[in-house]
Amino acid sequence: MSDIPSSLHYTEDHEYVRLTDDPEIVAVGITDYAQGELGDVVYVELPEVGLSLTRMDEFGTIEAVKAVSPLYAPVPGEVVEINEALEGDPSLVNKDPYGEGWMIKVRIRTQADLKELLTAADYQQHIGE
Amino acid sequence: MQWSLIVEPGGRPGHENMAIDDALLRRAQEGVAFFRLYGWQPPCLSFGRHEPAVARYDRDRIAALGLATVRRPTGGRAVWHDAEVTYAVAAPSVCFGSLADTYRAIHGVIAAALRTLGVPAAQAGPQAPVAPGAGACFARPAGGEVIVGTRKLVGSAQVREGSAFLQHGSILLVDGQDLVAAVTRGPAPPSAATSVAAALGRVVPFADVAGAIARAARAAWPGTWETSPPPPLDDWGRFADPAWTWRR
Repeated sequence: MSDIPSSLHYTEDHEYVRLTDDPEIVAVGITDYAQGELGDVVYVELPEVGLSLTRMDEFGTIEAVKAVSPLYAPVPGEVVEINEALEGDPSLVNKDPYGEGWMIKVRIRTQADLKELLTAADYQQHIGE
Repeated sequence: MQWSLIVEPGGRPGHENMAIDDALLRRAQEGVAFFRLYGWQPPCLSFGRHEPAVARYDRDRIAALGLATVRRPTGGRAVWHDAEVTYAVAAPSVCFGSLADTYRAIHGVIAAALRTLGVPAAQAGPQAPVAPGAGACFARPAGGEVIVGTRKLVGSAQVREGSAFLQHGSILLVDGQDLVAAVTRGPAPPSAATSVAAALGRVVPFADVAGAIARAARAAWPGTWETSPPPPLDDWGRFADPAWTWRR
C-alpha cells in the first residue's frame, strides 16, 4: 500500500500539494504511489524560480528507468523555490517523496485553488488502493 | 486497439526520426497505436533527454568526424545509430500498463522475434539505476532489456505524456557502439553491446529483422493492423535545433 497522508492535497496525475508554515506557500512533489510506479529516479528537471504557472502547466520532467515523464502544476501560482538537493540526489524522491523529495514551492493566489484538488480518500480511490 | 505499422527501411536523418516519433506520441493520445521500424541516414549520435552531453562528449571532435547528432525526447544515454533496426511504439498507456510492464511487453516481443531468427535473446533481470550522465546506453543493460549472454543487444527508452507513451530503441545489426567512447571526454566505461551479426556470425538484412519483429508484434498485440506511411511533417521542430541537441 502506498503512503497517502490525509493532510495533503492530490491530483489525478500523482502530484501532491503540502501546506507550509506560510499560508501563501505550498510545496509540490509526486506521490509515494507515483515514485513506486516510476522506479529509481535518476534525474529531475525543475523550472527557474519566478516562473508563473497556471494549473496543469508542465513545470518540469522526471526521469526513471530511462523513461521521461512530465510534471504538472497542481495549482496556479509563482515558483518561489526549487529543491536544489534533487540535482545531487534525485533518489530523495524515492526515499522521502513528501519530505526531502519535494520539488517546487509555489506562492498561490488563493486557498480556494486547493479546493479543486483531490482529498487523500479521493486519491486513494483514484489509484485503486 | 487500432495499430498502424510504419516500416521505413531507407533511413532518415536523426532530427526527422525524432520528430516523427514525437508526432506519433501526440497522435497516440487520441487513442490509436503505432509501431514504427526504421533506420538512420546518415548515421547519427543521439543523446538522452536529460543527458549532460556538453560536459560528457567532445563536440569539436564530433564535428571534426562529421557526425550527425540529435537529442531524443526520451530518457537514457547516448547511442550511435548506424547498422540497426530502430523500433518505436507510440500508444495509449493503457495498452501495456506501467512503465516497467511496458518495457517487459515490448522487449518480450522483440526477444521472441529475434529467437525466430536464431539469436539466443533473453531479457535482463533487475538492474541498479544508472544516471543520465553515467556513460553510453550500451555500456550496460537495464532491467528487462534484451541481451545475449551478458551483453546488450537492444537499448530502449521511454517518454510519457498525457495518456500515451513513446518507447523506442535500437536493435543492433552490427555493433558500432565503440564510437560513443571515442567521442567521450575522459574515461568511458567499455561498451557491453552485442549485435545480431555477432550472435549469428553473419550480417542479417534490415528487412529480415524488421519483418520478424512486425510479425511477432502482430501476433502478440491484438487489434486491427494496417500498414501506413509516417505522418507528413513540414517542420522538424526542436529536433533540428542545435540549441536543443546541446541544451545541457
